[in-house]
Formats: sequence, structure tokens, C-alpha cells
Amino acid sequence: MSDHSAIEEHAALWRHRQEQPDWTAQDQAALDAWLDESTAHRVAWLRMEYGWQKVGRLASLRSPAPAPRTRRPLARFWRPTAMAAGLALAIGLGSLVATDSFTRHAYVTEVGGHATVPLADGTKIELNTNTKLRAALAEKQRTVWLDRGEAYFEVAHDASRPFVVYAGARKVTVLGTKFSVRRDGDRVVVAVVDGRVRVEEVKATKPPAIVTRGDTVIAEPAATLVTPKSIDRVESELAWRRGLLEFDKSTLGDAAQEINRYNRKKLVVEDPQAGAIRITGSFEAENVDAFARLLRQAFGLNVQEDGDEIRISS
Amino acid sequence: MVDAQRLDDWFLSEVMPLEPALMRFLRRNWRNGSEVADLRQELYVNLYDAGREALPSQTRAFVFRAARNLLINRALRGQVVSIELVADLEALNVADATAGPERQVAARDELRRLQIGLDRLPPRCREVVVLRRIEGLSQREVASKLGVGEDTVEKQMLYGMRALIDFMLGGSGKIRRGAAAQTPKAGEL
Repeated sequence: MSDHSAIEEHAALWRHRQEQPDWTAQDQAALDAWLDESTAHRVAWLRMEYGWQKVGRLASLRSPAPAPRTRRPLARFWRPTAMAAGLALAIGLGSLVATDSFTRHAYVTEVGGHATVPLADGTKIELNTNTKLRAALAEKQRTVWLDRGEAYFEVAHDASRPFVVYAGARKVTVLGTKFSVRRDGDRVVVAVVDGRVRVEEVKATKPPAIVTRGDTVIAEPAATLVTPKSIDRVESELAWRRGLLEFDKSTLGDAAQEINRYNRKKLVVEDPQAGAIRITGSFEAENVDAFARLLRQAFGLNVQEDGDEIRISS
Repeated sequence: MVDAQRLDDWFLSEVMPLEPALMRFLRRNWRNGSEVADLRQELYVNLYDAGREALPSQTRAFVFRAARNLLINRALRGQVVSIELVADLEALNVADATAGPERQVAARDELRRLQIGLDRLPPRCREVVVLRRIEGLSQREVASKLGVGEDTVEKQMLYGMRALIDFMLGGSGKIRRGAAAQTPKAGEL
């Protein structure tokens, strides 16, 4: 038996013991000591952790039916129907999925991540970079909470079950349509590709805004603005779905901020003159280096790379 | 120095998802299939140690470059150096291996793979894993339900975990059964 196999077995044993109810602080200290002993121990542990979570996550994708806990034969749980019903998880660049319960799932993408998740009702959700949302399908209502980031929804039509997206203080209600919701803190932007949606405050004090195909809603704590746009414009706002960012006379400051959403390496625009330059075109969201090169070539800007930052000045 | 939590996060969220592609790469380029798991472990140690200094901006390219270098070093260190092999590796276009959009793996495929992985476990082992991890029974409940001792449950779990994880991450799912037949108490490890 080779080294790696013995280490791996120990890692599995630790991982298993840690789940037992009699796991103590001393046990944890012993585990920590073991992990500190060598990198080989630590990486074996991390691998075990990763794999076991993955197994658990998949295992929890069971049909949300509030099953009376009569035990079915084991094999039946893995029937295709149960798989289809429970199929819901995001696999982005290192995206991790945690489940609150059997009917509520959380989906997360990291910076630069992008993932598509099918819900059991046929709805499709596409998560953009650095996004977290939770989804729950109940008998009378389908609910999604957008905790941060941006997502595009293709909602399966079901007149008996409205589909509601909560984004901060805003609530978006639909029956079946295609639209995106983006949340930056208190600011919520809804763009509708097809159909109609209703945007309102969670604690409604003002009448809701009805938004249709081609419209964009920008909602901030104090105001809600509906801007009719061409459908092309809405499509271009959704260019991230194709891994692209499209700018139409955007300032470099805004463009940099947008690109930074997708990358660990950040663009820093150092002076206002450079920040005010107008940019038009489409760019690969994750290719920050190419974007910087372009700035140097096209605008003669000073581009300096410094660790995780690219500094731009005129 | 990269702080420990960030390092672990990086390893879990950026390195581990590459394992299926990495295993394919190693198997394709290393003749002795039984050594691939060892190579993987050695590579992970190297990557983690390198990560302590600074995290790479392009993890994927970084991982595959390190994998290639490891294969070359191993080949050179081998008793019978196969010039051919080394030349092959030198010429190896890492970009090919790194281009694949692994992240696109559909959830459905993963679930199917879990099903197959479960099916491949020995029957008793599968039963234990399903009851424990999927049905969520405690170790004691599993033991009494199956009419076996808790140590048996534990032994089956350990094998099942490793085999299933290996299979889920693109391995064969065949694990050498532990020489550590004695299962020490956690404190004695």
C-alpha cells in the first residue's frame, strides 16, 4: 500500500469520525494537528472534503414531495423521475451548492463563474459572476431570493403558481417569461426579454410597475425608473450569457467596474481623464489582460500590472 | 504568504473541480496507470505548497503546467529513462488539455455518475453508504438496521467514501482496501 493510499484512508477516517455525534473538541484539535503535520495530509483531507460534499449535495437532490417517511426500497429513490424532479445544482467555476432543506436550494457562483441551473418545474436560471440565489418550489408559489449578483430567468409557464423573485426591497412577479435581475446592494435592475413582469416594493407603498418586452427597470431605494429600450439593447445587456460584455459609449470607469465583476485581477483607473474615456465594443468578460492591452494600444494609456491589480492612467 | 483559509478555499473551489480533466491528462500521458493516483497526490502537494506563496491568476493553466513538469521529472528520475516519453511530454501542448470547458458538465451527468458509482460499490457497502449519506441515518441506526456492529459500518463507510469520491472525480472507483485494517480511535491517529 502506497503512502498516498494510507494518507487518504486516514483522511477518510477523520472525515467520517467528524460526522459522528460524539466528536469532541479534543478530536478536532487532534485533527488540526494531523493536518498541520504535512501538506500531504492537508490536500488529502481537502480532496475528501470536496468529494464528500459533492456526494452529499447530489444525494440531497431528492424529489421535494413532502414524503411521509415510510421508507421506500432504496433503489427506487434513484428513479429517473426523482432525478429529474430533484435535478438542480450549479456547477460554475468552483461554484458550490448548499441545501437548506430538500425543497430549498442555494446556488452560488464565484467571481468569473457562470452556471445554468434547471429547476424541477422546467424553469431555467442562468447565474452570472459572483452571484448567490436561493430557490424554493412550493405548491402555490415558486420563489427565488437573489442575495447578490445577477441572474437570467426563463420561467416555465404555470398559471397556478406565480414565480416571484425577491431582490432586496423589490419583488418581481411573473407567470412565464424571460428576464434578468441584477442586484448591487440596494440597487436592482430588471430587464425583460419576453413577456410581462410586475416589479414592486416588498412592503408595497407605491403601485407596482408593469414591465414588458424590451423594458428595463432600475429600482433604487427611493425611486423606480422604467426605461423603454429596444429589444437589441436588452439583448446587449444580457451579453454576459455568451461570455461577452458589450459597451456602447460607456465611460472607461463604468466599463472597468463591469469587467471587475468577472475577474480576480482588478482594473484600477487612476485619474478622472482616463476614467472619462468612452468605450464602445464587445469584450470577453474574463480576458482582462486583452482589455488592458487594448487600452494601451488604442488610447495610449499607461498600463501597469501590479500583483492583482492593473493600474491605468493617462 | 497567502492566509490559510484563502488557500483552502482556492484549493477547493479552483483546483479540485479540475480533477476529472487532470486525471484524464495523467492517464493519457503516463504509462503505468497504477501510479496515477500517486502522481495526483504528489501534484496536489506541490500545488498547495506553491499556493502558500501566491495564488496563480490562471489556476487551470498553472495546474496543467505543473502536471506536465511533474511527469517530466518523474520520467527523468525513472530507472529506465524513456527518451521517447520525455520528448513526447516536452512536445505536449498543455493548452489542448486546458481548453476543455469542464464547468459545463451538466448536473444530470453528475447525478448519473453518482448513480453508477453507487452501483459499482459492493452491495453491503452500497447499502451502508446510502443509508448513512443519503437517507441520513446515524451510524448506530445503520448498524442496528443491518444487524452488524458499528465498526463494520465504519469500515464499509470508509471504503465507500473513498471509492465513490474517486469515481465521482473521474477515477476508476477502484480503491485498494486499507492495510489499516485496525481502525484506530481518532485520538490515536
